[in-house]
Amino acid sequence: MSPKTLIQVALGLCLAQAAAFGQGAKQETSDDWSVFADQVFTSEGEVFQNALVRVQDGKIVAITPGASAGSSDSSLRAAAMTAGMIDLSARIDLGFGSVEQGREITPNARVADALDLFSEEWTRVAKGGVTTVLANPSDYNVIGGLGLALKTAGPRSVLQRTVKADAVLRGAIGTQPSLRNHPARGSPSDIYSRRPTTRMGVEWEWRKAMYDAAAARGDKSRSYPGCEQVQVALDGKLPLCIQAWSTQDIRTAVFLKEEIEREKLGTPRLIIDAAAEAWKEPQLLVRSKAMVVLPPFPLQGRTNEGAFMAWETAKLLHELGVPVALSSHGAGDPESGLDRQAGHAMRGGLPFEAALAAVTLTPARMIGIEDRVGSIAVGKDADLVLWSGVPFELTSRVVGVLVDGRVVLDPRPAKDSAAAK
Amino acid sequence: MRSQHLALAVLALPLASLAFAEPAFADGKLAVKVGRIITLSGPDIANGMILIENGRITAIGADVKLPWDAVVIDQPKMVAFPGMVEAHSARGMDRANENIDVAPFLNVRDSIDPVGFYFEDALRWGVTTINVQQGHNCVIGAQGMIVKPVGITIEDMLVKPDGGLKLSAAPKQGYSPASQQQALRGAFTDLRLYLEEIVRDKQQGGDRARREALFQGRDLEGEKAKGKAMAGSAWKVAGLEVIPRGEIDEKQEPLLALVEGKLGAFIYCSRPMDVARALEIARANGFLARTTLVCSTTCWKAVDAIVDAGVPVILEGPLVQIERDPIDGKETETFVPKVFADKKVRFALSSNNTTTESLWFQAATAVGLGLSREQALKSITSVPAEILGLQKRLGSLEVGKDGNVLLFSGDPLSVTSFVEHVIVEGVHAYDRSKDIRVKAVLQGKLPPGTSAADAKGEKAPMSQAKPHDDTGTTPTDEPEPKKKD
Repeated sequence: MSPKTLIQVALGLCLAQAAAFGQGAKQETSDDWSVFADQVFTSEGEVFQNALVRVQDGKIVAITPGASAGSSDSSLRAAAMTAGMIDLSARIDLGFGSVEQGREITPNARVADALDLFSEEWTRVAKGGVTTVLANPSDYNVIGGLGLALKTAGPRSVLQRTVKADAVLRGAIGTQPSLRNHPARGSPSDIYSRRPTTRMGVEWEWRKAMYDAAAARGDKSRSYPGCEQVQVALDGKLPLCIQAWSTQDIRTAVFLKEEIEREKLGTPRLIIDAAAEAWKEPQLLVRSKAMVVLPPFPLQGRTNEGAFMAWETAKLLHELGVPVALSSHGAGDPESGLDRQAGHAMRGGLPFEAALAAVTLTPARMIGIEDRVGSIAVGKDADLVLWSGVPFELTSRVVGVLVDGRVVLDPRPAKDSAAAK
Repeated sequence: MRSQHLALAVLALPLASLAFAEPAFADGKLAVKVGRIITLSGPDIANGMILIENGRITAIGADVKLPWDAVVIDQPKMVAFPGMVEAHSARGMDRANENIDVAPFLNVRDSIDPVGFYFEDALRWGVTTINVQQGHNCVIGAQGMIVKPVGITIEDMLVKPDGGLKLSAAPKQGYSPASQQQALRGAFTDLRLYLEEIVRDKQQGGDRARREALFQGRDLEGEKAKGKAMAGSAWKVAGLEVIPRGEIDEKQEPLLALVEGKLGAFIYCSRPMDVARALEIARANGFLARTTLVCSTTCWKAVDAIVDAGVPVILEGPLVQIERDPIDGKETETFVPKVFADKKVRFALSSNNTTTESLWFQAATAVGLGLSREQALKSITSVPAEILGLQKRLGSLEVGKDGNVLLFSGDPLSVTSFVEHVIVEGVHAYDRSKDIRVKAVLQGKLPPGTSAADAKGEKAPMSQAKPHDDTGTTPTDEPEPKKKD
């Protein structure tokens, strides 16, 4: 199903639901808002002073710089406004339940089927200013399946929240997919009596999946469940999102991409997730045109996975022109959310505009959803974040959030609140 | 006669240096010229100078005359700020907890590791004064000590020897709240019984206390030879004045000092329920006025009891408590410092937190969450200074105060600002441009040939790289007879 038809289906469902439960207690329809901020950072290079953003039916319909704040029930205001943030490695509510471990290669498993929208984590992340996330299967097997881009708030239906179904094909490199596995002695004793048991084996599984999928185009006998998804990824129409923390793993991911191109199996688009050590061999990423999602900044540089992430990583990659997005890995803790990560990147020397792009427009472009989200522009989804001061400063906080024109966090003092909540 | 004087002088010299650590810190004048001085005792000063002589600030302002013999630090783009004060920390100790339940006779000075990484980090983050206290896992812990993160011996580091006594209202490992409280009460009952017993013994003509004191090698001369009635206490032992102070068992003496209000107390509370028990012990034994509560996040719920008691608090743990309603699953957030600020409780922030080890980060985050800037800055400078009884020496930049000055590259609370220089008691103790560890965290340890400059093109080492063997693939164009499996 293409994204367009999906949206149509979603809209259809929405209307049907509105018709059926429209008179219900909870107001679930989106509202019209006039949102004013002293400074509006559009993520497209402009900064508007004293701008009014009109929101209608969940979309941005007008931006008026040099306006004044309204005073009606439907006006909101704050010191600064940005587009809703996008987290490509949000890792909300994922665990063993999100990945099919019956086999190592499960490209046709959809994480959409494993999401629990009733978890409070969604609300917490939404209130932190993250309005769109990429949900991926966890990395307990080699190719985990299809990731899904969805909104963090709205109706509790995956279909209605979807921004892009089948946004990436997710997998992992390194030792994590083989972590619990062990060779069978005699007869297999449990599910973990299987391959791969080393990072060599993980790499072998990757290449076998790629070569078989390419060969299956002509030779049906080489086909395997889900191989059509791998073919789409080989064609570059479905980004390949691979977790690789250390230099060793980043190299493997890049060489895999280059081998596929050299052997003329396809031209994949590679997103390297959690690329903590991307700073060590940045030229490798420039050469292979890989895109990078950075994990949260560790205080002392060393991540739990044993990789070392320098605080200047984002700055370095930005200067080299490597597309770089920041991520929070869930961040149930408000003190290490995505806004904090942008601040940390700035502490490492990334200019403000680039930090803003790294949590809005760049991640949107990476997975091809920039037509709907990622910046403040007429016609785009009304996903807006309101700030108490300069965004990403520790001394500022997210005071208001709109997702598809619905108020998730109301910037007005509680007593005046008339929001749909 | 003369030689006797000389001998006395020779003896006195090392003692003096032990007490004040002056010689290393008092050699000369330092002038700090910056673009902005945040004094925290009055308005900011633009393009001002701070003159430090013998470790103390002797002049501050926009029109201070530069002495000809002063060393000058001239940083017109930087911002000067008072050194931050950590009111309570168990870091910097080699093992922070003692096995013995009641151990007020111990002193953290024997456990502080001057070359510990923590002190280096404290300097890096701009903390110039630290009250080192034993960890939370105790009933009555050791006596603390106030130090600066500079020097390689305890004597060098010393700011004030009596940092206060550590107590815990939270159950020690293996204890229930009830047994913890019983152990706390028991310690003071034991003290009282001990005092009553030595008084009785003395009145009956015995000399048990004296013999014990001689056995411990205690000083029984001068002041210590005088007996004193119990001062400022909630309970008294009649006739205590017959006992010379030097004869009081050294294991009991710190608790007696606590009961008499001569020592401060830091009582740890891990949950709201601990607060009432902590205050009960402090009230029952007369040291409430010198008590500070060390509170973990949830203790804000006991704020009214804290207001009644009038004690200051040190806030540990996350600044925000997220609570989940057990019935509907909805989450509520409470920003803890604001609760205390609204009730006018004096509070200090602490770096003992999961997401950071820096007071600066805590203060900036607190401003973001809704605390006023003034209050946030006070909670890492003047309030902790007051808690430590050092308000005359620390907490702001004023004439007469210690020369503890931080130079920030920008506004102290901005995310892009760094501590560039630290001056501790007039000594230039830290310079970021020479800090290899902060460089490693920022830039990583770049292997040769892969620096940013190389990557930008001149050498481009990776693009000419030969096969990387760890994957068995080659990034070059060489045709390779590879078969798929």
